Amino acid sequence: MAKVKEYGNAELEEKLRDTSYYTDDSNPQFLEDVKKISRTAANMCFQCGTCTGSCPSAPRSSYRIRLFMRKGVLGLEKEALNDPDLWLCTTCYSCTDRCPRDLAPTDVIMAMRNLAFKFDIVPRNFLKTVQLIYNSGHGVPNNDVNRAARVKLGLPADPPTTHSYPEFIPGIQKIMDFYKMKENADRILSEGEH
Amino acid sequence: MAGNMRQYAFFLGCIAPNRYPGCEAAAIKTSAKLGIELLPLKGAGCCPAPGAFGAIDLKVWYALAARNIVLAEEMKMDITLICNGCYKSIWEVNHILKHNDELRDGVNEVLAEVDMEFKGSIDVWHLIELYYDKKVCGVEKVRDSVVRPLTGTKIAAHYGCHLLKPKKERHFGDTDNPMWFEELIEALGAESVQYRNKMQCCGAGGGVRGYDLTHSLDITNEKLINLEEVGADALTEVCPFCQLQYDRGQVEIEEKFGKKYGLPVLHYNELLGLAQGMTPQELALDLHAIDCTPFLEKIR
Repeated sequence: MAKVKEYGNAELEEKLRDTSYYTDDSNPQFLEDVKKISRTAANMCFQCGTCTGSCPSAPRSSYRIRLFMRKGVLGLEKEALNDPDLWLCTTCYSCTDRCPRDLAPTDVIMAMRNLAFKFDIVPRNFLKTVQLIYNSGHGVPNNDVNRAARVKLGLPADPPTTHSYPEFIPGIQKIMDFYKMKENADRILSEGEH
Repeated sequence: MAGNMRQYAFFLGCIAPNRYPGCEAAAIKTSAKLGIELLPLKGAGCCPAPGAFGAIDLKVWYALAARNIVLAEEMKMDITLICNGCYKSIWEVNHILKHNDELRDGVNEVLAEVDMEFKGSIDVWHLIELYYDKKVCGVEKVRDSVVRPLTGTKIAAHYGCHLLKPKKERHFGDTDNPMWFEELIEALGAESVQYRNKMQCCGAGGGVRGYDLTHSLDITNEKLINLEEVGADALTEVCPFCQLQYDRGQVEIEEKFGKKYGLPVLHYNELLGLAQGMTPQELALDLHAIDCTPFLEKIR
């Protein structure tokens, strides 16, 4: 955009043509997608760093949530989505509670993760959860040790969830199939095995 | 008696019924003594996990959470639950869909495939907020239900994240240093202790426990250092996933970092069960990775 707009200022226009001031990798649509999914005005971030300062993951890794906020504004889609640190947010919402611009950086991260999944970028453990829920209705299913313990407590061996009423599982599968979620998870997992 | 009971659909989630069934048993029995009857929400599934599942596709997260909510709408009953993660999914999706027509229409389009419709006709509560709420129960009533006070013990509170935060979308007020959970702990006859950075995350959420266990445990370890510093006899929380992270996490921390804490971790309903006279066997405390005996022996 900077390259086509004229400002009537030769010095400024020369600067704007200097590629060290901008990158062709920028995708403005990225910011719009992030804003839509996160339902927060991510473009309002003024880079104060309160989010990174509040973050329990920051002191023990290279994860900087402020950086992701900036990459969103600059439309640096590939850089943001390919960064493995994107998956180190525990979603504790401390940054969101403290943001002086009243934004939700946590939801920006969640939106970027959603967008990464569209490019098949997603850690395996997330996909395993998808498969477990698809097959049993539960992300953490029952097991034999636990069944025995439940019976001792006077509870039914399986809880009154999809475990006792498996007839509800096809409904869950239909909802997930509507978005092709299981199909995509299976495909990404099997491609990773080659 | 039955006429005075308030009835709720009890949303179990995954980790309480499938890893710490004592939490489920305790919630049902302790609530009955406080005038709250918990009825099974038949056919419910995973909330689904807000971090691990919502991270992949929020639209599916909305739809699956809505399915659970609709099951309770069909019972014409409010939902109550005992897990912060479930609260994030069930409470928040209920709230969002009640106020966002576009998302609600999208969800109902999917739910139509399984002959369901989100109507927005019920509310969702964490059991702990019902206990604290004077209109339903209140701290006094909790105190009156105690037959075996936990006198002589020092208990620290872990509020967790998704019950209170983000505060602008919740109704719990202060998230820097809330004290209402401590009131509920002291109602059981125990002493509540303050510790550094008590509002910090347990480290498990957002799929991080599965993605990078060492990173996740390092956050937990920081909390355990702060808890050790003040000599807490036990840690209590209202989230079975936090419980799993602190309880089994201590075993993993010993393996990975060589540090042993031996800090018993109990869900508030398990503590309440003990104070109301339930035995450790009735609470399946033997399923905890960290032995609760040192804590039980402290009770005078």
